[in-house]
Amino acid sequence: MLGEKALELIKELDRSKDGQLPTFNEDSIRMVLEEMTTLFEQNQRDVNATVAGDVRFFSGVHLRHAALERNKRCLLAYLYNRLERIKAMRWEFGSILPAEIRANICEPEVQWFSRYNKNLAAYMRSLGEGTGLDLTQDTKPPKNLYVEVRCLKDYGEFEIEEGDIVVLQKNTTHYLPMSHCQHLIRQGILEHVE
Amino acid sequence: MFITDLRKQFYNLITGKRILLLVHFDVDGICASKILQSLFRTDHILYTVVPIQTRTDLINAFQQHAEQVKHIVLINCGGCIDLVDLLQPSDDLVFFVADNHRPLDICNIYNAEQIRIMTKLGDEEEVPAFDDVFREDESEEESDEEGGKRPRFDEEALEKRRERRHWEQQRHKIIFDYTQFSYYGSSTATLMFDLAWKLSKDSNELLWWAIVGETEQLISEQTEPDKYLLVTATLQNHVSRLNHKAQDEQPLDCLRITFEKELQLALYRHWSLVESMRHSLYSATTLRLWTLKGEKRLHELLAEMGLPLAQCKQKYCGMDVSLRNELQSLLESKAEKYGLNNILFASFSISQGFRSKFSALDYVYATSALLENTDKEKTATDAFLDVTDSLTISKLTVLEKGIENSKQQLEAIYRQVQTFLDMNQVISAGPFLYATVIEGTPDARFFAAPHCLSLLARFTLKAHVAVSRSKKSRSLPLIITTPDVRSSESNICLVCGIPPTSEESPRNFFGKAFEQAADKTGSKAELEFFDTNIIRLSVDDRSKFFDALISLLS
Repeated sequence: MLGEKALELIKELDRSKDGQLPTFNEDSIRMVLEEMTTLFEQNQRDVNATVAGDVRFFSGVHLRHAALERNKRCLLAYLYNRLERIKAMRWEFGSILPAEIRANICEPEVQWFSRYNKNLAAYMRSLGEGTGLDLTQDTKPPKNLYVEVRCLKDYGEFEIEEGDIVVLQKNTTHYLPMSHCQHLIRQGILEHVE
Repeated sequence: MFITDLRKQFYNLITGKRILLLVHFDVDGICASKILQSLFRTDHILYTVVPIQTRTDLINAFQQHAEQVKHIVLINCGGCIDLVDLLQPSDDLVFFVADNHRPLDICNIYNAEQIRIMTKLGDEEEVPAFDDVFREDESEEESDEEGGKRPRFDEEALEKRRERRHWEQQRHKIIFDYTQFSYYGSSTATLMFDLAWKLSKDSNELLWWAIVGETEQLISEQTEPDKYLLVTATLQNHVSRLNHKAQDEQPLDCLRITFEKELQLALYRHWSLVESMRHSLYSATTLRLWTLKGEKRLHELLAEMGLPLAQCKQKYCGMDVSLRNELQSLLESKAEKYGLNNILFASFSISQGFRSKFSALDYVYATSALLENTDKEKTATDAFLDVTDSLTISKLTVLEKGIENSKQQLEAIYRQVQTFLDMNQVISAGPFLYATVIEGTPDARFFAAPHCLSLLARFTLKAHVAVSRSKKSRSLPLIITTPDVRSSESNICLVCGIPPTSEESPRNFFGKAFEQAADKTGSKAELEFFDTNIIRLSVDDRSKFFDALISLLS
């Protein structure tokens, strides 16, 4: 049936919901493109015949044209939505993608990703009057500027704003500015207490 | 220096500063610190909490953390020792002390610069007057006052010396009278709740912590029942103020505290009735449940109440609803006959949504058991954090673990008491009774912790008095020793002394007595705990130490 492959592509993308990216399905895309070439060639022939005066094939031309348009739209949607997902991942994972996602994207997408990276980095550098601003941090306003944290390991002295020093010792509880201790939480030295 | 206005003299001073909170290992202290922490969070006051168990902990924590902070809040520790002398703080450091241990150190009380005491003294508590214990270095002024005739130099000097000696004797006596007994003041958690209330930041959760703190003092007999009643009355006012909406007006899943009569049975809502009665101090000692006769009396009581034995032996939550509803009134009606007059007491319970109800008693038992976890992999500070978690209302799983731990603990205590009595191991030494947990007892791991040990001591003493024929045993205090299996060193035992049962007030003279006995014999004793009636002692010195105690007390 006409356009079936293209629809499958879309479905495949749709099935794998947020946070995942299916492998770039090159085979299906090639098959869709081949279908389109055949349709185009047939149309070419029939259009020529129509121009010559034979109107029998005219409705066939219409049908094939609609199928062509549809295939084109599906392909574009497929590519565009993949890019959107990759873009979202840039905000989520940072400039380096996890290996399992990297394996699933194709070469042009990699190029696009690195260019997007460059653009974003350049923009972020230009912000904040020369100091730069990391837009990917705190995309939602934090509920609280401070968090209660518990120390899981002996860490030693840790400097917070204005040169204040906190001694992080195992099993002590602290109330600290969120921005300072976020990376320690990621490293597993501190634990956020709800 | 005592603080009178907590808000002005404490809270407003520390707003915007960094605070170091040193919290003692007890449920009341943890409740108080939780209330303070939630206040600090609302005002974005940065803080650090460090758990403190012994004096050494206090010194270490101070040395490590004090450099960066100027304000230190001590909760349930440090009030009874001269802080300036012990810690040598720099001049701009200020200590805020909220301690329920008594007597407070006199140097702390009269230090106007660095030490601010937040606890309020009760009406009957007295502190020696400043002039009686401190003196402007030499008594020149006084001799001037005497003035007039100006005797000869040597006579004057003699007079001065004599007077000084007299004063010193007087001072010694006053201080001895003052420090002779150790006892406990009102709960720190309620004090902190008072502060929260004055700041209009009180909520049901904070109130619950205050209630748990207060109940802990009652359970561990740190407060007299009369005093407890007075505090409950104030707490009840807060409860009705914060829970005034009718049941159907409020959403079901919000926190509700209710004031009600409660049975003095440990964890009975989470255990079976029979088990709970057997392991609760009050019912077990009154009915003498460890004897065959006692067992019969229990069955008799249950039969008279009309409770089928099968129902009582299964989990409480599996009992018939009608029986459960009537349980309190049934027990109350039969209480007098069995001498269980005080089985009901005024308490609070908490419920949230469709979860089962917890009484303040359950919380106290569960949290104290968590605090003295026997799990080898957990350090003391881990247990401290567990308790902190379990008090948060939304983290019920930790509390449920605590309830299980508490059951094990109570069972171990019950077994040990039975062993003591069956083997006649409670021995009278003349001025006091003593009992020893034998080295290698498998349950010793439970007893090597202050709260559990003193609970065992109280249980043993009450049980001993209940079966003992001699009248005298009522007026004798008890000392219990147990091998300290938790410490890394071997040959160390814990010694705990408790006042006699005839004593109404929980005043305890063992703190001072231990100190003197250790001094006299030169035994290897560590008076490390803030509860001075518990010490660590080298096993080799034990007999020597006891001899000294006997001669001291008789």
